[in-house]
Amino acid sequence: MTATTSTSLSGYAPPARDTRPLPERLDEVWADLERRLADVPILRALAAGDVTLEDYHRLLHNLRQQVVDGSLWIARAASNFDVEHFDLRSAAMAHAQEEHRDHLLLQRDYLAIGGSLQELRAGRKNIGSQALSGYMFSIASGPNPVAALGAMFVIEGLGAQKAGEWGRRFADVLGLADSQVHFMIYHAEADVEHTGTMEGFLTSDRLDADAQDAIVSCARVVARLYVMQLTELDEI
Amino acid sequence: MFSMAATAYLTGLGSYLPGEPVENDQVASRLGGVDRRTEAIRRRIQRANGIRLRHYAMDSDGRTTELNEELAVKALTAALADRGIGAEQLGMLACATTQGDLLVPGFASMVHGRLGGGPMQVLTATGVCASSIAALDAAVAKVRLGDHARAAVVGSELSSRWLHQRRFTGVADHLDAHFLRWMLSDGAGAAIVEMQPRPDRPSLRVDWVRQVSLAHEHDVCMRAGLAGSELVAGQTWQDYDDVATAEREGLLQIRQETSVLGALAEAGLRQFEDLVDLGLIDLRRLDHVICHYSTNAFRDVVFDALRTRVPGLDEDRWFSNLETRGNTGAASIFVALEEAWRTGRLQPGQTVLLAVPESGRFSFGFAHLTVVAPRTPRRSPRSHG
Repeated sequence: MTATTSTSLSGYAPPARDTRPLPERLDEVWADLERRLADVPILRALAAGDVTLEDYHRLLHNLRQQVVDGSLWIARAASNFDVEHFDLRSAAMAHAQEEHRDHLLLQRDYLAIGGSLQELRAGRKNIGSQALSGYMFSIASGPNPVAALGAMFVIEGLGAQKAGEWGRRFADVLGLADSQVHFMIYHAEADVEHTGTMEGFLTSDRLDADAQDAIVSCARVVARLYVMQLTELDEI
Repeated sequence: MFSMAATAYLTGLGSYLPGEPVENDQVASRLGGVDRRTEAIRRRIQRANGIRLRHYAMDSDGRTTELNEELAVKALTAALADRGIGAEQLGMLACATTQGDLLVPGFASMVHGRLGGGPMQVLTATGVCASSIAALDAAVAKVRLGDHARAAVVGSELSSRWLHQRRFTGVADHLDAHFLRWMLSDGAGAAIVEMQPRPDRPSLRVDWVRQVSLAHEHDVCMRAGLAGSELVAGQTWQDYDDVATAEREGLLQIRQETSVLGALAEAGLRQFEDLVDLGLIDLRRLDHVICHYSTNAFRDVVFDALRTRVPGLDEDRWFSNLETRGNTGAASIFVALEEAWRTGRLQPGQTVLLAVPESGRFSFGFAHLTVVAPRTPRRSPRSHG
């Protein structure tokens, strides 16, 4: 399908359907996300080596409130795939199982830097996490939520390509032990495997144009909301 | 920009010395031993060890006024207050002592019970003076591993109850029990160990800790619970028909084979030189030496030996408060470090070597510290909030 080129009198043209291959479109989403991440205050400070333990403490506290729900929307998505999407259902169920205990890793890091379990558990989602979590549950609740692959692309990509880098940088700047940055480093290792599985789905030819558009849109929303989650630390 | 491996810092120090300082001539008013012979021995030993003041948790009737665990808790409380945190923020408590109040259980369990706070890892390092460094090493290692964000270390001694006349009257006479009787005294010193330097004041970064035993080539020379110098099954203080018999034979006295102390000083200097050879000590950058020694006689031996190796080492860089705080065994290195810290001797950028020789069966503890200024963030902490 190609874009229509007719122009209205005002000169405005509504966005045309993007016909480029899905991987190329997702690469663009990723590149845009990376630019936005570079402007997130805590990540800018991290890159400059200008963070304190309090910053790391705050970041873990904020991330946990969303991570603790991470496997729930994946599990809900799994339950909404019919038998025609059996492979996606299998993959989502397996992935939900893997993610299910992730917040415990984060919790151990949090305790290891002197955080209080009581405070961590009493925490609430910041406004970015609320938006992200709400959006993901909404996507996962529809029938055959193929769009969720876009969310996975962003979130697993962050885990595989960014979390490890952040974890190592925090460790480097603050002089942290491995057992204090386990969550971020582990993510880098585990999510590399997950993204491998997902590449298979994203490059298969059974995704029609609507599915591809839904995946890209979902990826773009999740990218924006993830940046919001990282920006709006402690804003609840 | 800076970068570092997982590191531990001493962020708070505290000490506690019970009661009023006791002068040389008042010592017998606490420990007894006023017959002419004992008094002559006391004077001779006091002259040799150079101690002028010390503290005892013992009143003039010879009654023990505080528990060893109380001394430990008071030093810990002072260290926590110095840091501005509470015991509930500790993940670990490492306690060093020669002899706790009880035979069972371990001293650290009792100290934790009295200190309070939350659930925490406890470690009892028993030994003599260098058990302080063993406890410090354990706390530093666990903090560096990331297992705990904060730990406390305390060295605590209540030896006066072993030194009183009632441990000597009617007991087989051993001259080698007098050396320590007029040297040891009571007190406690504590340090808070953290994974980050404190934000408001300088901290002491722990560069490394080393402890080594040379027991494989030396007999036991400072001991209690043993009749002679040979350790034989069935003949320790726990094997007699009753403890009273063991006590009458002198097994509850702390005795020191003084003839080997010269060899101890030599062995300690060799350990020091090994650390220099390994590059762990840079003589050009060694600003302070805080050395525990039992008597001033060793200070002179060690200081003279060091001066030939450390160009420009003068008395200013050498710190000990043996003369005014006494020899408090496992507490002494922390009691000395606390005083050096509190009185402003140690300035940011400077290095400090802690050295603790232990005669027991020839062991040595060392720790290397660097004074670090608080980090100054270039932005306000909430600027990205």
